[in-house]
Amino acid sequence: MERRRFLHDVTYWSLSCFLLLHWPFPTLTTSAQAQTPQSGMALSKVGIGKDKDYRKLVRQVIALIGGMGAFVKPGARVVIKPNMSFDRPPEMGATTHPLVVRTLAEMALEAGASQVRIFDRTCNEARRCYHNSGILPAIQGMDNRKVRCDYIDRRKFVTVPIPEGRVLKGWDIYRDALEADCYINVPVAKQHGLAGLSLSLKNNMGILGGNRGQLHRKLDQNLADLATIIRPTLNVVDATRMLLRNGPQGGSLRDVQTNDTILASSDPVAVDACATMLFGRSPDEIGATVAAADMGLGIMRLNRINRIERP
Amino acid sequence: MNIYPTPVFLRRFSQGLFLCIFIVLFLHTDYQGQDEISGAVNLLFRVDPLIALASSLATRTVITLVLPAIFLLLSCLILGRWFCGWACPMGTLLDYVRPLLGKKPATIPAELPKLRYMLLLIILVGALFGLPLVGFFDPFAILVRGLSMALYPAFSMAIEKFFTLTYNHGPAWLNMLTEPAYQFLRATVLPFEQKIFTLALPAALMLGTLFLLEIFQRRFFCRYVCPLGALLALAARMAPWKISNRQPACTVCGKCNVLCRTGAIDKQGQVNSERCILCLDCLTGCPQHQFVFSRQHERAVLLAEGLSRRAFMGTTVSAIALPFLFAVRPLKRYPEPSLIRPPGALPEEEFLGRCVRCGECMQVCIGNALHPTFMEAGAEGIFTPRLIPRIGYCEYQCTLCGQVCPTGALKQLPPIKKQTVVIGLASIDRNRCLPYAKGVPCIVCEEHCPTPEKAIRLREVSILNEMGQVVRVKQPYVVDKLCIGCGICENKCPLPGHSAIVVTSAGETRHKRATDSNGYT
Repeated sequence: MERRRFLHDVTYWSLSCFLLLHWPFPTLTTSAQAQTPQSGMALSKVGIGKDKDYRKLVRQVIALIGGMGAFVKPGARVVIKPNMSFDRPPEMGATTHPLVVRTLAEMALEAGASQVRIFDRTCNEARRCYHNSGILPAIQGMDNRKVRCDYIDRRKFVTVPIPEGRVLKGWDIYRDALEADCYINVPVAKQHGLAGLSLSLKNNMGILGGNRGQLHRKLDQNLADLATIIRPTLNVVDATRMLLRNGPQGGSLRDVQTNDTILASSDPVAVDACATMLFGRSPDEIGATVAAADMGLGIMRLNRINRIERP
Repeated sequence: MNIYPTPVFLRRFSQGLFLCIFIVLFLHTDYQGQDEISGAVNLLFRVDPLIALASSLATRTVITLVLPAIFLLLSCLILGRWFCGWACPMGTLLDYVRPLLGKKPATIPAELPKLRYMLLLIILVGALFGLPLVGFFDPFAILVRGLSMALYPAFSMAIEKFFTLTYNHGPAWLNMLTEPAYQFLRATVLPFEQKIFTLALPAALMLGTLFLLEIFQRRFFCRYVCPLGALLALAARMAPWKISNRQPACTVCGKCNVLCRTGAIDKQGQVNSERCILCLDCLTGCPQHQFVFSRQHERAVLLAEGLSRRAFMGTTVSAIALPFLFAVRPLKRYPEPSLIRPPGALPEEEFLGRCVRCGECMQVCIGNALHPTFMEAGAEGIFTPRLIPRIGYCEYQCTLCGQVCPTGALKQLPPIKKQTVVIGLASIDRNRCLPYAKGVPCIVCEEHCPTPEKAIRLREVSILNEMGQVVRVKQPYVVDKLCIGCGICENKCPLPGHSAIVVTSAGETRHKRATDSNGYT
């Protein structure tokens, strides 16, 4: 082949391949911050209920703060983020109760969600956590094609800048969580060696990539900084079983207290503050709650939280 | 037109079938959503009489796990080496790569066919006297090792790279096509997590060498090296069913001599049943259809090619002497502390004797924690499994490695039992650990410690940090009595490079020398 012909061909093919691959030239419009930040002055509503029947309980508590329709719009892509970090059965209190997750998924569908995705970046091996937490079997048991329990796909972490972060300036965050129309954060309430308690704010770590251990250096402020980017539409704290000691993994029933309580709010700080009270502790003791309240990410003062308890 | 399948077709079909079964079993060697693994994924090794014999000799016990091997040996006593030609996945793969390599006729030393008998003798006598070699020469061990440690991870890596490229840089319409394809592959052939292995290259090299030897002759490995083939050949000597040449009409044209893939037919058209693997090429290839597979009543001309008395004695004596040479190295008395064996491993001597270095435990290991050992256990310990916590940790509730071990070198433990088996002990490097060295809070090891009563605990102290300020931090410490050495702390330690908490094999329960509460042995 002669040189001219060769160069001509190379130019032609690379240009056409380039154009083909980039068609239809998308414009980047998806915003990372899906939800509007909450104003620091307004009263935050927190729904609290207690019942042995977790399905009924979840429905009642969500109804207290306006029903699922207030959070899930018809056609919305919903993400439910439970805590299934550890390879423990539900009764150990280390993971969100499968019935809570399943009921939320059912309610999201009833509110018209076009799809529901459930995932968590686990600490132990993912398949063991998904299976043994009971969440994967519970979701598969729904047998609905719109609802899926997905394993984390390494490729889907995107580096997100955190402009308002005081310590943390950016981190890899799971794309599906950022792009969701409705993000439902469903932590399990449990003791944690450094954070004090692992609640809504701590549960956000389950959608982070990278070496998460490094965040423990200034954990409280890091969690608050993350909360400027990760803004759940709804936070549902599962305190049906509370792990009081040897958290966040537990492993012994002696450390678990059955409490049959669920809390829900769109304000992660307020719901964490109320959940802290269940442990007999003051919200001031939980560094992440304090740091987030300080940044105006939610309300921590109990007298400014509108606690709606089920009669 | 003959409507009956030809004998060669039947043989090829059988080879394909067994290869498929092998591949399915291989892919199946993974966590399947339950604690118990279903399907006998280690079946291949259980029917291997060489492994059965060698590991039984090494431990001087009858290992019930490998009893199915008797059936294979018995079948070869009747039919000859049918397994090599009809079932062995290694042989099938060698047959498949042969056409890719081209022909390079080479002159082979006439003594070479005796090599496999020498190897067999060294392996068996060595096993009895404490030098485990079977894993380095057994065809299944080489094959499964090469696949699980190198080829399968590399295959998965290539696929992952491709789909990562299309996902990150491809346009939306392309992803509409590639993503379903990727999900399909993930659900069928790809491993759940991309694995890496320390000895990927040596394992691949060993397997690759077997394939490259095909350049010199067809089935080079099976003819001259394979000790399993040698064992089956000894059985085939006595087999009443064999291929033979109907003498009178043979014109000695020599076609069969060239045709035979194992060199079992000599220039006169006589079949050596020790080499014959019943591929049946000669049945169809002979222009006069001289060859038949039938029951032989009278003893045919024996073309036995065993070792001479001198070679036999020499080999035996060497195999007896070698283990003692290996025994006088320091590592036999002072084991390498970083050598952490999987839970359920037998005491080292017995473990080395039974382990066939097949790599199944490493393939099934859910956390990619088990890796082939290099020289840490001596030259004879290469490819045996060891836990490298910094790469992967032992999952607290998982018992898969013990379930797939074909010879019981790793005992099958129920989860409750496994959680109490101590494989090592963690210790904190206070010069690196953040709360000690820098006064910076970090509790990651404590957080992940899986024992119900945590083996890593925190104590709150006031210390000076790097700026000279007094700070309150929680410092982790290890409770030796509770630590089982799973290595999750070392794995999750967020420090870059070396972990600040390190697990060594100290205090492992498989050895009787228990450490007392003060840490003295």
